[in-house]
Amino acid sequence: MAFDVATLEHAVQGEPDWLHDRRRTALSTYERLPLPSRTDEEWRRTNLAGLDLPAYARFEQQNGHAQEQPALPKGVIFEPLAIAARRHSSLIEPLLFSLVRADRDRFSALHAAFFTGGHLLYVPDGVTIEEPILGQHFSHEGGTSVLPHTLIVAGKGSRFNYLDEYIAEGDEAEAYRSGSAEIFVGEGAEVGYVAVQKWGRNAWHLADQRARLEKDSTLKLFNVTLGARFSKTRVEASLVGPGATAELKGIYFASGEQFFDFHTLQDHQVGNTTSDLLFKGALQDVARTVYAGLIRIEKGAARSDAYQANRNLVLSDKAKATSIPMLEIDNNDVRCTHGATVGPVDPNHLFYLRSRGITEMTAKRMIVQGFFGQVLDRIPFQQARELIEAELEARLG
Amino acid sequence: MATAPKPVDVGSDYKEKYGFFVPEDYVFKAKRGLNPDIVKEISFMKNEPEWMTKFRLRSLEIFRKKPMPNWGADLSVIDFENIFYYLRASDKQSKTWEELPADIKATYDRLGVPEAERKFLAGVSAQYESEVVYHSLQKELSAKGVIFLDTDSALREHPDLFKEYFGTVIPPADNKFSALNSAVWSGGSFIYVPKGVRVDVPLQAYFRINAENMGQFERTLIICDEGSFVHYIEGCTAPIYTTDSLHSAVVEIIVKKGARCRYTTIQNWSTNVFNLVTKRAMAYADATMEWVDGNLGSQITMKYPSVYLMEPGAKGDVLSIAFAGKGQHQDAGGKMIHVAPNTTSTITSKSISKAGGRTSYRGHIKMYPGATNSKSFVKCDALLLDDNSRSDTYPYNDVDADNVTLGHEATVSKVSDEQLFYLMSRGITRNEAETMIVNGFIEPFTKELPLEYAVELNRLIQLEMEGSVG
Repeated sequence: MAFDVATLEHAVQGEPDWLHDRRRTALSTYERLPLPSRTDEEWRRTNLAGLDLPAYARFEQQNGHAQEQPALPKGVIFEPLAIAARRHSSLIEPLLFSLVRADRDRFSALHAAFFTGGHLLYVPDGVTIEEPILGQHFSHEGGTSVLPHTLIVAGKGSRFNYLDEYIAEGDEAEAYRSGSAEIFVGEGAEVGYVAVQKWGRNAWHLADQRARLEKDSTLKLFNVTLGARFSKTRVEASLVGPGATAELKGIYFASGEQFFDFHTLQDHQVGNTTSDLLFKGALQDVARTVYAGLIRIEKGAARSDAYQANRNLVLSDKAKATSIPMLEIDNNDVRCTHGATVGPVDPNHLFYLRSRGITEMTAKRMIVQGFFGQVLDRIPFQQARELIEAELEARLG
Repeated sequence: MATAPKPVDVGSDYKEKYGFFVPEDYVFKAKRGLNPDIVKEISFMKNEPEWMTKFRLRSLEIFRKKPMPNWGADLSVIDFENIFYYLRASDKQSKTWEELPADIKATYDRLGVPEAERKFLAGVSAQYESEVVYHSLQKELSAKGVIFLDTDSALREHPDLFKEYFGTVIPPADNKFSALNSAVWSGGSFIYVPKGVRVDVPLQAYFRINAENMGQFERTLIICDEGSFVHYIEGCTAPIYTTDSLHSAVVEIIVKKGARCRYTTIQNWSTNVFNLVTKRAMAYADATMEWVDGNLGSQITMKYPSVYLMEPGAKGDVLSIAFAGKGQHQDAGGKMIHVAPNTTSTITSKSISKAGGRTSYRGHIKMYPGATNSKSFVKCDALLLDDNSRSDTYPYNDVDADNVTLGHEATVSKVSDEQLFYLMSRGITRNEAETMIVNGFIEPFTKELPLEYAVELNRLIQLEMEGSVG
């Protein structure tokens, strides 16, 4: 198999024509675009050597893998995206890949052409869902591609939480994974979105999480990156209505030879908007991470308030964290602050704990837990918090 | 509560403010444009050794091959074929103040150099057009073995020392504009401070450009031998002209073991000048290099003073302010390249944008694999005085070293209503209050300057701020 027309035609049977066309266009974009080059600023610190895309041109069946869900209020649609595309074409057609654009780069095009699995969640105006909605995505073997896509549409004044969990089950061989999300937050809506990436340790993972926030809406997005050998995630929020608030938080824990890359964007298109970003990461062994974030305040976006911080705790001599926080400010009536730090464990903290009879390993673990504690408090709902804490616990050992 | 600040046209009253403009009177003026013949002619007119002629021609080749930078400010309007690459105001180098040509002295009078400063100016290497015409070394300097010459004279008088260091910090192939400078350089300062010598008086040079469409390509080389100290100050002012002018300097500094060098710049080119400067220092064991860099003028400035921290214990420091008014883009910052272990660096950037001006902080911290236990801290603050203006921060960090600490902080804000209210409630006008706040904002920079420069800078800020409130 290959990432070609034959594979595409086979994979998309039964899908509506518009989606079929869109996939074919994405495929031709994929064929036309070269791999990003290291002369592109975005990819300068990201090494794609060893990525052999055609080797993963086999798909694990994802469609129809619906989780057991709590009873959903009337009007809510929660369906596998492929099924929803047939049943709710008029809802999905204008939205799908309008935020996560297929022509952005070769990987986005590949994802748009071959995405399988993932869900549509549509919550009508004024509807509140108490229990979090779960979208789980599994991979079982190496040498394959798993490309789930989540589409969330929050009606006016709706309120709910969503958790995407990317899980590897006994899958340690090289593979290709994505896991993108498009989130449309309607006027006055409040959405919590958590993505926990735990793909196999030898996977290549490239994903886009992008949200669009209307007037007076709130998004609390929380990204957790733990898996894959190579993980590149773009987390982006466009604030298009006054009063919109985007909270973008992330934690990552990189060990062994893992490489994590995050590019974030806080795009204030109109005034009276707020964004608050904090990404915290711990690195050990020979892991490497890159964080590059941009706050962009457009010309008319007066009285915007933007905060961006990236903190890295480097637990070994050989681990390397790179942090690039950027600002583009086109309006004076704003408050923008950003900061980045990269540093080892404070020897004073370590000494204090050791002097209390705590072993160095335990002391380091406590320091890492304390380091993450501040941001864990911002996980939008309890269920996600328990999951993430358990995952961290298991990894800190 | 307050009315919106009215944009001020910085350029419109430039002539009254800094309009010292004297008729052109050149001994030699090369033809416009750039080709090997002009480069050879420059070298011939200066009676240079063959290696320098070859160096220039090789640099020209590199310049032709290098593409224009595809980042930063828009440089597409520069027409390299429409520039004079060499001018010489007079054949003879003046030795004392009295011998200075009258028209040049007139220029200094308009600059407002006070009588009391004349003595201080004995240490001034005044640059009129591309070449140093006035130069006086205080006797004590030469007694200590300090060499302070214009770069052309240094090539003649100290050929071996010159050849040993010239082009070693910034090779012609470094970037397109360093290649251009290497091909057509003229003037600039050459300083050598011997081992253990401290130069207590700051060495100063005034730079001027004064011919339409004339490029200024000065070349400065400073060598601080082990354990020495020198403070060099360059201050620039220029009259305004209608067509674009290019300034592309190269400054190379070598700070040897335990030495300290401070290089202070107050750049106030007229707002039609493209100021594209490469400044770099090599700091060796336990040496300290400090760039104090103020950018007020020019249409576009792209300048990132850098320090290569080559040996353990080296320290680099950049303190930068930028002021961008109408039509100006200050793309400035700093670079710290950590090569050796236990090296430290700090970059502090303060920028002010008003009346549609744009300031960009662009910085690079690079820590190579050997730079274990190194530390770097970057702080950028930006002040936006009205909603037409723009501020960007682009800090690039590449860490390949073990066990390093790196910090970056930045804020962007406007003049706060609380501060203004407080000052105005004390009977201070809005304009005065804003000027005070801006002067306070750049105070970390001002306080590093010698007094007369600090006064001059505060006066300049005041002029720039005038009429900013409607």
